[in-house]
Amino acid sequence: MNDRRVDRITGAVGAGLSISYLLYARGIEDSLLADSVGANGVPMGVGGLLLLASLALFGKSWVEPVEKQTLPKEEEGTPLHAPAGAAHPHRMALGLLAILAVYVALLPFLGYVVSIGLLVGSVAWLAGARQRVSVLTCMVLAGPALWLLFDWALEIRLPVGLWPLLRNA
Amino acid sequence: MDNLLLSLTNLASVWVIVAAFAGVLWGILGGALPGISPSIAMALLLPFTVGMSPTVALVLLASVYVGAEYGGSIPAILIRTPGTNSAAATVIDGYEMARQGRAGEALGISLISGLWGGLFGLLVLVLATESLAKVALAFTPAAYFSLGILGLSVIAGLSGGSLLRGVIAACIGLMIAFIGSDPVSGVQRFTFGSSDLLDGVKPILIMVGLFAVTEMLVQIGEPPWAKGGTGSTKLKLPNWAMSKRLFKPQAIGAVIGTVEGVTPGAGGTIAAFMAYSEAKRWSKNPEEFGKGSPEGVAAPEAANNVVTATALVPLLSLGIPGSNSAAILLGGFLIHGLQPGPMLFQKAPEVVYGLYGGLFIANIAMLLIGLVILSPCMWLVNRPKPYLIAFILALVMSGVYAIHQSIFECGLVLAIGVLGYGMRLLRLPVLPLVLGLVLGYLVESNYRRSLLISGGEHSIFVTDPVSVLLLGLALVLGLYTGWKEFSDRRKT
Repeated sequence: MNDRRVDRITGAVGAGLSISYLLYARGIEDSLLADSVGANGVPMGVGGLLLLASLALFGKSWVEPVEKQTLPKEEEGTPLHAPAGAAHPHRMALGLLAILAVYVALLPFLGYVVSIGLLVGSVAWLAGARQRVSVLTCMVLAGPALWLLFDWALEIRLPVGLWPLLRNA
Repeated sequence: MDNLLLSLTNLASVWVIVAAFAGVLWGILGGALPGISPSIAMALLLPFTVGMSPTVALVLLASVYVGAEYGGSIPAILIRTPGTNSAAATVIDGYEMARQGRAGEALGISLISGLWGGLFGLLVLVLATESLAKVALAFTPAAYFSLGILGLSVIAGLSGGSLLRGVIAACIGLMIAFIGSDPVSGVQRFTFGSSDLLDGVKPILIMVGLFAVTEMLVQIGEPPWAKGGTGSTKLKLPNWAMSKRLFKPQAIGAVIGTVEGVTPGAGGTIAAFMAYSEAKRWSKNPEEFGKGSPEGVAAPEAANNVVTATALVPLLSLGIPGSNSAAILLGGFLIHGLQPGPMLFQKAPEVVYGLYGGLFIANIAMLLIGLVILSPCMWLVNRPKPYLIAFILALVMSGVYAIHQSIFECGLVLAIGVLGYGMRLLRLPVLPLVLGLVLGYLVESNYRRSLLISGGEHSIFVTDPVSVLLLGLALVLGLYTGWKEFSDRRKT
């Protein structure tokens, strides 16, 4: 994407976000304890500022010559281009997000030890690990090791799911 | 002088030394784990302090605080995940240095700057507690509001050259900060009917999502043969030439950390960001900031480590806990039948000065433990990339769950990670968002409290002397940054 296009998309997204935000903020009802500013006063101000800044960015991209634009330098690793032969970075990111979402959904049912093992194994595989023994070893060891750190050492109760015996151990 | 000698006698107490080392080690572990805040690390040890002598118990808790504030910088530098809120500013140049294979240098700078910061803060605590307590008392709601505005005035310096983008990102941060109960009337705002959002969104969730999850979403897209790790695993402490170069940013961090530390509620996060921004402003090489500048690591690290000592000023002298960590320490005092405040120095001087001595040992312990553990930490992040990504995500998701044992917050962090990914695509800077998030509550609640006090008169912000001073400073800094950006653009 060229700089002008990024500016326009950012401006449009920002304007859309601020308008939805302002509409939502306008609907906030004050209680009897409300002060002169009200519960929605400051959010409305910030929403308005976002709208102005977004419109300014959007407008600037049409007015300013291309060579004068000072966009922040693209960070190294910004997922914009896929190297030849590799899966597209967005697809990989989506895959990782799906694994993480499944982990969050399964955590209360399968329990921490099993879920985190599955997470470690599937993420390592997605990231390119192909040595089955190493991946399996990581899967098996990750759960108990992290359980010992958080649940046993730090006394932070993790979900046991189908394995209530873990809590009694 | 007698009191100073009293604190020095603690340097020879075996149990104080053991407590300081154990506390720092525990604190570094907690600080380095995303989601375990310094206050959580302290709270976990609080029950164990009941049977200890008051001095040993308080040294243990304060040492955890020292260790945790330092420990947060280790994952910030190595894996772009700030372990604590105040380590977020260290990510900018620390992680960039690690990417360039200079992780050992960045960790060395962070360790030494943290040590100097901690010792400077301790000196301020010992010598100036009484006079600095007056600063804390001078802060009215109007002054707090102006302090927040001063904090927001550094956004331009964190915007990567585009003020408009910085403002957009800061507004998004402020919007997130407004989620939850209204600070004055208690009305629910932007919760979409979810009880999980009533308390708002904790800054650490945003930071873990924006930095760690986003970074992993980006890194997974790089091919398996892409360069990973940080190169050398050798810790490199600053040499004489580097130490001279770092003196100015460390001094800037020390001054800002002192002011922010003694102000209840301001905290290390604001201090670290302001120190970063001011170090950049006064640097001979401002163009290096954001690209792996050693000064960009030194300033925030010095600032947030000064705060570990100066945050005790309002607690010890006035009995006001200015942060969650100080509140846990207050709990430690109360458990042992001690009430912090003006009378503490008369009733239990041996405890107060024993705590000072313990804090000195804790800073030395931080240096020694850091020297031992940092190389193994670098070795860990040099493991093959697929396993490293899997391990980081396992640690991050476990840490997030550990905060409130909430599945909802795990999902929220994923959503924030997606937001960070989108922001990278649109090239929006992340740091102004973090600053807006951290300052949102401070600015709004004190703005409205001030207007309640003044009966709706905005003149309160220019009649309160501290408020005028801070607003004036914010104006000068804002105008200077605007002028500099304008002149830089004309030059290019």
